[in-house]
Amino acid sequence: MQKRVYGAVALAGVSALAISACGGSSTPTATTAASAAQTAATSAAPAPAATTAAPVRDAAVDLVIWCDNDRKPIIDKYAAQFGTDQGIKVAVQVSTDVRKDFKDATNAGKGPDVIVGAHDWLGELVQNQAVKPINLSAADQGKFPAEAMAAAKFNGQVYGVPYAVENIGIVRNTALAPNAPATFEEMVTKGSALVKEGKATNAVLLTVSKTGDAYHSYPFLRAFGGGVFAQKASGDYDPTKVIVGSAESILGGEQFAKLGKDGILSTNIDGGIVDQVFDAGKAPYAMTGPWAIEKAKKAGIQYAISPLPTIAGKQMTPFLGVQMFYVSAKAKNDAFAQEFVTKYVTKKDLQIDMYTIGKRPPALTEAYSQVAASDPDIKSWFEAGKGALPMPNIPAMNSVWGPMGQATADIIAQKDTAANRLKAAQTEIEANIKKAG
Amino acid sequence: MTRSPWLIVKWVAIGTTLALLLWIAGKYAAAGQLPFVIGVGFVAMCVLLVYGTSRSVPMKYLFPGLFFLLALQVWPIIFTVMTSLTNYGDGHMGAKEDSVKYLVAQSVTEVPDAPRYTMSVAVTSGGDVTTSDLVLLLTDPTQGTTFVGDADGLSPISDGVVKSETGKITAAAGYQILGAREVNARSADLNAIAVPTDDGGGIKTSGLSEAFVGKASIRYDAAADRLIDTATGIRYQPQNAQWVPEGGQGQALTTGWMENVGFRNYTDALTNDTLRTGFLKILIWNLIFPLISVASTFLLGMAFALLFNDDRIKFKGLWRSLLILPYALPGFVTALVWRQMFNQDPNFGLINKTLGWSVDWLGDPTAAKVALLITNLWLGFPYMFLICTGALQSVPGDVKEAAKIDGASGLRTVQSIIMPLVLVAVGPLLVASYAFNFNNFALIFLMTNGGPFEGNQTQVGSTDLLITYAFRLAIGGTTPNFGFAAAISMFIFVIVALISLQGFRRTASLEDVN
Repeated sequence: MQKRVYGAVALAGVSALAISACGGSSTPTATTAASAAQTAATSAAPAPAATTAAPVRDAAVDLVIWCDNDRKPIIDKYAAQFGTDQGIKVAVQVSTDVRKDFKDATNAGKGPDVIVGAHDWLGELVQNQAVKPINLSAADQGKFPAEAMAAAKFNGQVYGVPYAVENIGIVRNTALAPNAPATFEEMVTKGSALVKEGKATNAVLLTVSKTGDAYHSYPFLRAFGGGVFAQKASGDYDPTKVIVGSAESILGGEQFAKLGKDGILSTNIDGGIVDQVFDAGKAPYAMTGPWAIEKAKKAGIQYAISPLPTIAGKQMTPFLGVQMFYVSAKAKNDAFAQEFVTKYVTKKDLQIDMYTIGKRPPALTEAYSQVAASDPDIKSWFEAGKGALPMPNIPAMNSVWGPMGQATADIIAQKDTAANRLKAAQTEIEANIKKAG
Repeated sequence: MTRSPWLIVKWVAIGTTLALLLWIAGKYAAAGQLPFVIGVGFVAMCVLLVYGTSRSVPMKYLFPGLFFLLALQVWPIIFTVMTSLTNYGDGHMGAKEDSVKYLVAQSVTEVPDAPRYTMSVAVTSGGDVTTSDLVLLLTDPTQGTTFVGDADGLSPISDGVVKSETGKITAAAGYQILGAREVNARSADLNAIAVPTDDGGGIKTSGLSEAFVGKASIRYDAAADRLIDTATGIRYQPQNAQWVPEGGQGQALTTGWMENVGFRNYTDALTNDTLRTGFLKILIWNLIFPLISVASTFLLGMAFALLFNDDRIKFKGLWRSLLILPYALPGFVTALVWRQMFNQDPNFGLINKTLGWSVDWLGDPTAAKVALLITNLWLGFPYMFLICTGALQSVPGDVKEAAKIDGASGLRTVQSIIMPLVLVAVGPLLVASYAFNFNNFALIFLMTNGGPFEGNQTQVGSTDLLITYAFRLAIGGTTPNFGFAAAISMFIFVIVALISLQGFRRTASLEDVN
């Protein structure tokens, strides 16, 4: 009797571990920001049915690529082509948490040669000696927008070849809001009127949640010249200059305070609810990204995408996320890995095919132009990303997500003034960065 | 003594085990982990000694249990202690030499406006493609001129040179050109090659058919043990397992190394301000949460068990299976569903909608605790129901009958007869359940992630358990630091061990009723 139940307890313990493993793995596969993952992971990674354990490197092949489940079919195609061209065998393996699995496996000398991932992993991967620079010629670099190339750089070195860019914008339900909003105030007015008429439950949808969401909050701070880190002359972010509590950021924070007070934004709204309400046709505007589109389409919502509007007369801009191919610093097949990433990922066809998964604008300008001509959504997303700064890829960013997100949530919940709360967040972030060394 | 067939079976089993151990040892040897090879060898000798001879009969029974105790219980503890004495974590993973090599290698940038050569890799004719020195056969793409590059530098080449459309040299007199696979097989050698150029740079390969002129901006001065940034002139010295600028001004280089830090993680944990202030608050909730969880789930489970143990109830099987249902669903799904139901907004939260309340279940410190306890009650009572049902069925009927004859009321029978007998069986399970809930990471993580956070900070949450707190402190919130996390988990381990020890001692006294 006792033994059996101990077994049950042990099993419960193990399953708890498994659960926490699942919880961890849903984080960064699809998108860039750890905090955006909630919303985005659902988009690109529909609950991988397979195991969450890291893949085991296939030792019998000449090149090993790790990617997530959704992108595998396309990468398979080009890997096969590369294999035929070079007369070698290429394996594309699925990992449910590329970032973590790659870091751990590479550290143990069992990692792949190439991985597919988001640009904001870069600093952390460099910190752990996991990736190496890619010697993309100046001519090849010129085939990508400068912002995308900037995101792929760390300390002035290129570490990845981008294949897609992503950012948030305003997705509107054209049945409720036919015109693209020029100002946030217009969205609030129009949305509130619809709520009053009973046609909508929420005027504007923005992911906040109880713990906050720094990724979705950033445009508000950025509009007034605030943000996360100040930039160096080179354009790199400076981890020693946190500006979350700066006067400019506080102006953005005051907008949160007002919108929270008026009940436009609420900590009761999390990523899941944004999708749920928008897809039910119960909100005219959602401030969200490409990951929301497929579900809205399925729900039969007539939608249109437009850039973020101005707020209090200042233009909001989102974070730019870039998805790219990295080469492992400990690649066993370094020459093949470099060749594949520099010569094949820069191909127009690959970039266009990658667009079919996840529907993000291709990073290669030539591929983008072709896709944008036929898919207006892609053009809209790209327009919405104009002027966006890349999400910081420096390791210090890991210290920012939690405190900054919670600060915005607390301001919206009227727990403290914007000035107090953002300054407290700044202190906490600085302490975290210092502790991390 | 047992003879023939069993003897064969025995030796086949021993042989198989030894073969398996040999295979494992081979794996470890290949990975260069000598201590593990020795450990496996030791286990193999033990197997041979214990089962191969007819000595030490008790050991034959104890050995498997002992082995798994060591491998699955003691070893993780030792490993955690070992990790807690290092700074292992993000930015501190490799050895110091690795960080030097990496930092120098990754500082190589392409010299602007230098030619990008089309390249073939070759060895001198007659050389072994897998071992002999490599040379690069290069074509300047703008001029079409061809060179051979080796450790001494570039020299023009034209003898028997055949070029492809892209300008890549496909044949040259005196050289044997390597195929793609052969080139790839020598990736490590190629990474080490830098054909020196006049300006102090080096021609490096990129992929299979390109080479560029690169220059490293970071240089290692081995004598002084300094990394020097040649562009800015900043000298970096090793300090706290990182390369920091001499004089302490400015940013450290990104990549550090792993080293032993002694008891620093422990002293850090004990002197950390947020940890100290948060610790007591969290510890109190951490003691209360499992206590109420166990008490509430046990009482509800026991009540249902008593109810459905009554012979007057019909369709007992059906009711019982329905009650098990919350237990059968995956816990994390249930937790997420409950989180949604606890949403303050009645448009999304079923509970506030039904009750007509506007309680901020997940945003108010007290309400969040209540919400967690309710969810855990739902998740936990079927288990208690199960074990209590089992225990109740083992209560002898004659005892109950005797109580009835003596004129005891139903309540009195439960209190004085049934409960003491049931508690003997389930007492240790309650302790185990307490220990499990003490570290119920998944529920907290999924429901509130430790929040709500009061007082303008994100370190100490109102529903944090020590384990979620440690997770955020060491891994989740900022840059992962496994050494620190290991130190914190040692504290938790000691606390749980003490509580469990005390708990099991108490339950031993329950046995007295027998």
